[in-house]
Amino acid sequence: MKAFLSRRGGVAGLAVLLAMAVLALAAPLFIHPSDLSVVDATGAALAPPTPHYPLGTDQPGRSVLLLVIWGARPSLAIGVIATACTVAIGAVIGLLAGHFGGAASRVLMAVTDWFIALPQLPLAISLAAVLGQGDASITIAIAVTSWSTTARIVRAQTLAVEARPFVERAHALGAGHRQVMLRQVLPNVAPIILVSSTLTVAGAILSETTLQFLGLGNPTDVSWGAMLNQAVNQGAVTRGAWWYLLPPGVAILIVVLGFTLTGRAVEDVLNPRLGTR
Amino acid sequence: MTAVAVPARHAGRRTGTGVAEFFRYLARKLASAVLSFLVLLVVGFVIFSVMPSDPLEALTRGRPTSAAQLAFLRQQLGLNQPPVERFWSFAWNTLQGHLGYSWQFQAPVSSLIAQRLWPTLLLTGSAMIVSAIAGLWLGIRSGWRPGSLLDRTATGVSLTFWSVPTFWLGLILLVLFSVGFGPVPALFPAGGMSTAGTAGGLAPQHILDVLRHLVLPGLTLSLVIFAQYVTIMRSSVIDELGSPYLLTARAKGLRDADIRRRHVVPNALLPSVTVIFLQLGGLVTGAITVETVYSWPGLGYLTYQALQIPDLPLLEGTFVVFSGSVIVMNMLADIVYRYLDPRVRRQ
Amino acid sequence: MEQSHPRLSRRSYRSYRKTASRALLAMAALALAALAMIPAAGSPAAAAAASTGPGTGPTLRVESDTSFSTFNPFLAYYAGDQQVVYAIYPLLTQTGENGDPEPYLATKWAVSPDHLTWTFTIRSGLKWSDGKPLTAADIAWTYNLIMTNPAAGTVNGSLVANFKSVTAPDATTLVITTKAPESNIAYEGTSIPVVPEHVWAGRVKNLANFRNTSGFPVVGYGPWILTGYVSNQYATLTANEDYYAGAPAYHTLVVQYYSNSDAAVAALRTGALDEIDDLSATEYDSLKGVKGLGLYPTESNIWNAIEVNTGARTKSGSKFGNGNPALADPAVRKAMALAINRGELVTKVLNGLGVTGAGYLPPAYPQWWWTPAGSESEGYDPAAASKLLNAAGYKMGPGGVRVDPKTKKPLVFRFGIHSDESADAEVAPYIVDWLAAVGIKVNVQAMSFTQLNSALPKGDWDMLMDSWNTGADPSYLLSIQTCGTLPQNASTPGNTDAFFCDPAYDKLYNQQLAEFDASKRVQTVNQLQSLLYRANVDIILYYNDNLEAVRTAAVKNYFYGRPNGQGFYPIQVDALDWQQAKPVAAAGGGSNTGLEIGIPVVVVIVAAGVLFLVRRRRTAGERE
Repeated sequence: MKAFLSRRGGVAGLAVLLAMAVLALAAPLFIHPSDLSVVDATGAALAPPTPHYPLGTDQPGRSVLLLVIWGARPSLAIGVIATACTVAIGAVIGLLAGHFGGAASRVLMAVTDWFIALPQLPLAISLAAVLGQGDASITIAIAVTSWSTTARIVRAQTLAVEARPFVERAHALGAGHRQVMLRQVLPNVAPIILVSSTLTVAGAILSETTLQFLGLGNPTDVSWGAMLNQAVNQGAVTRGAWWYLLPPGVAILIVVLGFTLTGRAVEDVLNPRLGTR
Repeated sequence: MTAVAVPARHAGRRTGTGVAEFFRYLARKLASAVLSFLVLLVVGFVIFSVMPSDPLEALTRGRPTSAAQLAFLRQQLGLNQPPVERFWSFAWNTLQGHLGYSWQFQAPVSSLIAQRLWPTLLLTGSAMIVSAIAGLWLGIRSGWRPGSLLDRTATGVSLTFWSVPTFWLGLILLVLFSVGFGPVPALFPAGGMSTAGTAGGLAPQHILDVLRHLVLPGLTLSLVIFAQYVTIMRSSVIDELGSPYLLTARAKGLRDADIRRRHVVPNALLPSVTVIFLQLGGLVTGAITVETVYSWPGLGYLTYQALQIPDLPLLEGTFVVFSGSVIVMNMLADIVYRYLDPRVRRQ
Repeated sequence: MEQSHPRLSRRSYRSYRKTASRALLAMAALALAALAMIPAAGSPAAAAAASTGPGTGPTLRVESDTSFSTFNPFLAYYAGDQQVVYAIYPLLTQTGENGDPEPYLATKWAVSPDHLTWTFTIRSGLKWSDGKPLTAADIAWTYNLIMTNPAAGTVNGSLVANFKSVTAPDATTLVITTKAPESNIAYEGTSIPVVPEHVWAGRVKNLANFRNTSGFPVVGYGPWILTGYVSNQYATLTANEDYYAGAPAYHTLVVQYYSNSDAAVAALRTGALDEIDDLSATEYDSLKGVKGLGLYPTESNIWNAIEVNTGARTKSGSKFGNGNPALADPAVRKAMALAINRGELVTKVLNGLGVTGAGYLPPAYPQWWWTPAGSESEGYDPAAASKLLNAAGYKMGPGGVRVDPKTKKPLVFRFGIHSDESADAEVAPYIVDWLAAVGIKVNVQAMSFTQLNSALPKGDWDMLMDSWNTGADPSYLLSIQTCGTLPQNASTPGNTDAFFCDPAYDKLYNQQLAEFDASKRVQTVNQLQSLLYRANVDIILYYNDNLEAVRTAAVKNYFYGRPNGQGFYPIQVDALDWQQAKPVAAAGGGSNTGLEIGIPVVVVIVAAGVLFLVRRRRTAGERE
């Protein structure tokens, strides 16, 4: 803990993330559904910032500031859920490959390597296009394309843990595969899973917003990627409406940077050998 | 956007000698690349057969079509075959370079891809060169004195660019430099690769025109991938800093700058250059979003156009080409690494 | 590793490197600035250069409506392809300034007293661009090919479905006989491009794969000859000096595809482009007051509507699909129509640049324009909608959602929108809120073009956002609502858009089709529109204006017709615009030339300064 606190980048990243999370969770307290309704919107269309609308308005006349704050909710939710799926797939495959070894392990690792080498976006685009627009298919597309890094890390860690005497002892005492994996190995692998997931969230949020921007999300959603998609479709570029284009991107940048900084700091703490990086 | 994921490098077996060993290695890498490609074909086919949608409705919507016309189109598109047969014909055709027929452009996918290949190579190639030069240079400087002001700035800047969504950076540069913002006039064109109607080919005017169109998309892509190069080069240099030969060099009385140039950089460059090859996945990802924002007529933009319908044969084609090219580049990287690695060569 | 470096003495090696890297950086900065300084095609100097372009005369640059895929007239159904095709291949008749068919290849035509035989007199002395004569035989050959060859019928097969025979008894006579009387034969001629038989006879075998995008100049006839094509970027057309109505004033026409409308607008601003149509309301507003640009709104020939699934069924009446049965109830549909504030959509989504929806035919063609009489009108009235639903037994249930008395299920409808249509995404949230206010819950489903169009004939939907445009003759658009468009069986799609079928409608439809008296036909078409309006199967939301912009600093005489009371021009035919447009003799000057040169100069100076400082710091560091 102290080691983490001595890393200023990590502390700053974590603080930003906490602030964002609080803002997202508290949003319903100060943003009324009518603030997000196009019918109830009272602002002018695509108007630059005024005291009443600190970040201007979108085409229907809603406050961009409120939209960006509200957009944190789906954006963070999809990022975190996609990461959970990613890590779950990666952890299961890594554990199985590390525990059983042999031909099965080799096949699993060959598949993992195949997914690591492949460019993510074309695969994710293809998947999402085939599954149809929407958050669910974006989440699936991200999970299916990005689990491989986690799998490799978990496998390496599993091998290391299983070489330790207490696992040997458990085997000797007659523990089955399931018991060894869940009781002995998993608790010891968990920390590394946590670290890798912090960095995965950053990637997942970037992928998510990219897929939404490309039009694979629900175009009527209020999320950062969808907002940028709408901004472009509503002519914000031609209009030079920087107040509509800038905030969602900055929000994405801040959150991704927050996760990256936190992840790097935690990695440093858990693995001091990499400290110089 | 792709997480930096580098497969574990094995230094290679140290036994055996010379040429025979190298060819065995080559054969192994070739075989694994071929296998990867076969897996790619299966995955591609499975994905694109999931959706049982009938493209004919998409094609014929908006104009009246008779039953005879529908049957004709169905046969034209090969939709009247069972899935297994379709897979074999798909695999066989892909290997021959026939990638199907685009629903949207009514043209062979392979010819569409061939047309779009050069713009993508131009964009990604120039972005890669610019960002590699800038990134490696900055990586050397900041790795040489970790913790210095330059190092912290470089790390901060590269982390920020790594965290920026590529498409958004493109949009911002687009608004700033080609729509014109405030007192800034529109300096660069907002999209496309050349001005219509100008003489093509190698006329100097045309080359300048293409360059003008290239500036913004190239800059966007460079900024995003440059971050990775800084990070990699920086850590390679830091790794080298601990090497004993540095002490020897210092003992010989060489100045710091010379040690850096003559010893550290050449050694640190090796893994970095290999990694640059391995990160083509990131380049592909960047190309799709950047080409979309700037309507650069390349493969990434073709993917986006296919996505709108979605034009499945075209999407499948770009998927196979993108992934296939990464498989090939990875194999080349393996071979180049093996060939260049001094530890292996010295054996 | 040392031996791998060139053998230079230490000092010279360093200074060589330093000079090289500094020079490299400076060169890069200068190159960038120079590129920025190259006059964008829009600055006055470049505009003059650009307008002369390649070849020997002025060049007109227009934006294509869509991307290009083929210039094979039998396959070209994208608007962008058709723009080019109609400029390079002739038509039997052409759409005139008032939307009626006018002479082109045919100079006059007459119909027999039994209304079954049409005789067209064909212009004589015309030549294809390769010098071979263009005669009635070419027209007959083309029409017969479309009637007999499925590939040739891809685009226009349905237009000739009622044709019994097409013959050319001599070089200047064409005779068309129809199976049943049809009043709009001369209109059909405006859509079917004619090709030279001597060139196309050899292409029939492989017609479906022939794209006609090489082998320039392409043999044809029209105001323009296709002389070049850069795949998916632009087509180059050259004026046809032998065109019967006189060669266009421009020597070269470039039809360019802009995949990104922002890029197109930027190109128009800088002068790289002379004309754009299909501007969005925001883009249109952003161009107001820009010097050297003329903005032209033209009347809409397109409607945007919510199509309602009234119960998917086949021609024989067997039901299929999973549409919500409540939508078969006319009261529900009427309540929905009353709950939607169509005028507000025009104000907020279109920035006022459109007409509030009502009748089935769009306002571009005044002869067919119909508005509901006061008593019939279903204006925005949510209170009336609620009352109607209460009266029909749809009582308010939990969560403010009404319950269907028959199925006991809440009134929840799916609303499919095109994910690639930005207007759909803008409209959808309004519909959700308005219908929620009267107790109907709507779930928006963004679907790709393919998904939406494959869901439609299967009947697996409740509400869909759709739009249709029409030419001057309304028969085709009206035909979509006839019983004949219902699917034969659940697996072969029909052309229906809402599974509407009403024998009374069909009777009126056939009546107008065979009606040769114009004013009587209008009366019948009005009855059809009134019937559709009351049925509320296509709730027409609005007709968006066609918003066009022309670079009037360089081009004059582009638009024809006079603006009406509201400032709308009549709908334009591209081929006519392109033919009559003339270059402005002396291009007017832009105002910010100084700025355009000044900014890059500042950039260069700053870059040089930064470079200098960096170098100084570095040498200082090395000196210590």
